[in-house]
Amino acid sequence: MFLKFLHHFFLPHESNNHRPKVLHHTSLMFFIFVFLVGQIMMGSAKANFGDVLGAKIDVSVERLLQLTNDERQNKGLRSLLLNDKLSKAAFLKGTYMLQKNYWAHNAPDGTTPWVFIRQTKYDYVYAGENLARGFTNSSDVVKAWMESPTHRDNMLSTNYKDIGFSVLEGKLLGEDTTLVVEMFGSTEPMVLGSQPEKTIPSKEVLPQIALEKVINTPVFDISLVSRYVGIATLALFIFIFVIDLIIIERRKIVRLVGHNLDHITFLFMILLFIILFNRGSIL
Amino acid sequence: MIKNKIKEHIFYYFSLLSVVILGVFLTLQFPGNKQIQMMTIVITTFFYVGFGIVHHRENHNLSAKIVVEYMLIGALGMTIASFFLLGS
Repeated sequence: MFLKFLHHFFLPHESNNHRPKVLHHTSLMFFIFVFLVGQIMMGSAKANFGDVLGAKIDVSVERLLQLTNDERQNKGLRSLLLNDKLSKAAFLKGTYMLQKNYWAHNAPDGTTPWVFIRQTKYDYVYAGENLARGFTNSSDVVKAWMESPTHRDNMLSTNYKDIGFSVLEGKLLGEDTTLVVEMFGSTEPMVLGSQPEKTIPSKEVLPQIALEKVINTPVFDISLVSRYVGIATLALFIFIFVIDLIIIERRKIVRLVGHNLDHITFLFMILLFIILFNRGSIL
Repeated sequence: MIKNKIKEHIFYYFSLLSVVILGVFLTLQFPGNKQIQMMTIVITTFFYVGFGIVHHRENHNLSAKIVVEYMLIGALGMTIASFFLLGS
């Protein structure tokens, strides 16, 4: 009985007019309806029960500093010191970005990152800035920066002595996001040819200030749930289309339906998008 | 038989594959911007549905059933993509 049911739903057969029941218009409409209802429920759950079903986020200044200095130590460079003024400048910059709703180093009104550094009275000779948004953990942020030549140059520059971070949550360009601002600086010029100072483990250089972090640990990670549900559904449909194509070709049955190859190609595109999707962005 | 069909409509399949690959490529060029990503998916879906309908009209028997089939598969792909983007 169960096998007959599976046969009817997933394989072309006389009982389903030589087209798996899952591929019939009514079944497709049912799946579309389920995903639409799923979206409404997911949006509602995110808003009202974020601690149960929400996006798992773990981005902290402490971890960002540690990972940045680990990268520098791996290259034999001295660790950067977490600087209160640069952290405040990063916070001001991040807040300004959220207020003015822009994703760029320079604000639409022309305000540069250096304005925020000067506001904190950090008298810099060298300064730099890395930005990230949409990442769910600190290691992905640092990894993305290290994979970009310009951001990597900032992180491994010998010009800088100090570093400051800010991790903020807010709405940017219409999306709820976690924004990370990393600011580098030095108040004195580097002497060319000088040897890097003794490398200090990052734990010892943490000043006594409150570290910012954005941590959300829901019972169910909504990003993983939506990812796996999407991948599983697409894989199922692609598999059924492939099986249907093979069986129909072998049996030489003529049907008035669209090309399975078209559908497979299209659904494979959506599958590829979900697999390769990267929610984070750097600047 | 499948090989013969692909050979017979090589230009169509090449075009469809190109549009789909371009769609994925463009979508991935905007990390962190879900609105543009969704828009790219919607545009690619319209191309897929349009290509399918035109191809059937030119080379096979186009019926309302086939048009609805392409539209439903397109809608299914879009709803799965938007479901995923909403959760991410």
